[in-house]
Amino acid sequence: MRDRASTRALVLGLLSLPFGVFAPFAIWSGARSLRRIRASNGTLQGGFRAAAGLIAAVLGLAALILGTAYWFLASS
Amino acid sequence: MRRKYVSRALTTLVVLLLAACTYPGAVVVSMLVRLTPPPTVSSPAPRGALPWLHVEHPQGGQPYIADDRGRIVLLHGAIPGGLIDFWSRGEPLIPDPAPYYPIDPAAYQGRCPDNSPAMPVPPLCEDDLAGMAALGFNSLRLPLSWSLLEPERGRFNVQYVDRVAQVVDWARALGIYVIIDMHQNAYSRYIGVPQDGIANLRNYTGAPAWATFTDGLPSHAYGQRELNPAVLEADSNFWYDRSGIQDEYIAAVAFLAKRFQDDSAVAGYSVFNEPLPGWNLPPGFEDLLLFPFYRRVIDAVTGVGDGLPCWSGFLMPAVCGYRDLGVRDQRHLFFLDTGLVREVTDFPTHLGLPVSSYPNLVIGLHPYTHGYTIDALMGQKPNQNPSYPWGGYDQSYSLGLREAKALNAAMFVAEFGNDPEWDTLILTNELLEQEKHLTGFAFWTWKENGGGHSWGVYDPTKTSVMPMPSSGCLRPARELQLARIYPRASADPHLSYHYDSNTGAFSLRAQGRPGDAATIVYVPREATGEVSTTGAATESESTDAGGGRIVIVSPTGGAFSVAVSAAPLAPVGCD
Repeated sequence: MRDRASTRALVLGLLSLPFGVFAPFAIWSGARSLRRIRASNGTLQGGFRAAAGLIAAVLGLAALILGTAYWFLASS
Repeated sequence: MRRKYVSRALTTLVVLLLAACTYPGAVVVSMLVRLTPPPTVSSPAPRGALPWLHVEHPQGGQPYIADDRGRIVLLHGAIPGGLIDFWSRGEPLIPDPAPYYPIDPAAYQGRCPDNSPAMPVPPLCEDDLAGMAALGFNSLRLPLSWSLLEPERGRFNVQYVDRVAQVVDWARALGIYVIIDMHQNAYSRYIGVPQDGIANLRNYTGAPAWATFTDGLPSHAYGQRELNPAVLEADSNFWYDRSGIQDEYIAAVAFLAKRFQDDSAVAGYSVFNEPLPGWNLPPGFEDLLLFPFYRRVIDAVTGVGDGLPCWSGFLMPAVCGYRDLGVRDQRHLFFLDTGLVREVTDFPTHLGLPVSSYPNLVIGLHPYTHGYTIDALMGQKPNQNPSYPWGGYDQSYSLGLREAKALNAAMFVAEFGNDPEWDTLILTNELLEQEKHLTGFAFWTWKENGGGHSWGVYDPTKTSVMPMPSSGCLRPARELQLARIYPRASADPHLSYHYDSNTGAFSLRAQGRPGDAATIVYVPREATGEVSTTGAATESESTDAGGGRIVIVSPTGGAFSVAVSAAPLAPVGCD
């Protein structure tokens, strides 16, 4: 059975690439899903999706932080 | 098992592609652009009638527009609408009326076509340029319409460019710079007759019919043309490069640039007026669609080659650059308007990611504080303690300078204006902010037909008079505010100055080193006070053809001041 949060993490992770504000929710969903899948001893699936969502979210968040930091540093 | 691996590979591909096409890719490419050294121009500039302008980049400081001697240059001017492809007549039975005023330059040789109430503005003629020079304007922003420049796909209208060149010739003869503006409002006159009235279509201008894709959405303005679903759809299709229309637009700008590449009287190109996001939301609109589009135009015209090589002809992601279209124009300025939502909020709606390594970039600000900002759209009057913007008139300018610095660009007020009813409040405050932030301006608009609330520098003409003259008299309040004493050029980019349009008094403070290029102060004919210079500078004075005084202040080393005494102002009104 697939963990539903893993799909949520992937969708939110993909959304966080253009819209960085989704990143914290994707990271939270992805991390929680991965923990649950690991603890299920093989009964829950979806680890790859959760990890992909998590990575996408981290990329989105990093871009947002870098872009925002650039704005504050370069514009002053 | 095989299905599982295919699914994983697809997921990985989607994540990587989406990352490359959105913020992660955009940020990486922008940082690379920021680190790319500007191109070096090896060939000497062709000798121009006017000094070539460029953007100076002081170490750690604010970039500014400068002349060939490195002096900060302030451009003052107006925006005449005579070359815009307005929908004339308001006649619903004519689906595609021809341009009302002639395009052939011969129609303007030593004469001027009659004005007409069928059009929102009068035709632009040579005496208009003389009128601008007489007010002390040293620039004009000349709006064009893509629909007239490229009426059929791939066929550029050379006669229309000849007409533009005619205006540039007039301007050059008077020492006026021209900013060629690819203008649009509400995307196109071919958007479809708005269900709320044909008259509204008068102010829809821009794209040709073949580049207008509304996908069957209704044309209905809902009281504001920028809310028209057909407009939003057509704008979105442009940003997504549907059927390669963005490529055609880039080619059209390159066509113009090719014509004027050796002309120093053309200050540069305003790439896209007041970009409307369509269905896209900021900051993604600006960071992922608009500014990458600007990069592609600059790549095509200058050949600097920023961004990644990509396909063209359909949606180009933010990381994409554009191929060199062979113009190799590396001397003109590119004026980049911020998105329309920024105009409504007076607040940056994007991250200001660097767009190009080309150094001559200028952010085109449209500060319409209390004119089109949220408070005004909510029905608040400018004098009724409006609730927005929180930072007052200063907000747009202070934040605009920060946006410009992040983009490694100078800042210029590419458009501002207001209902004459609010001149003492809005116009006064906008001009004060421009002085404070050392930015020039282009005033919307030069002349406009209509009633007392039309926005021109001049009163509108009375429609009962035939043939209809191009305008009434100069509006006295506007003449006294816009014909200003101001420094046109100075070697000190940190100078400060103030002109009081009530008393005619002016003061300027600057620093200079021996041998620095002179500071040039313009005193219009309306200001009658005595000029004096104190401190480490010498002064000489001459008079221009329009009756204004040109004060040349040469620094000898140290601080100096220039003042014009308070004296009764002498408005010209009607010549």
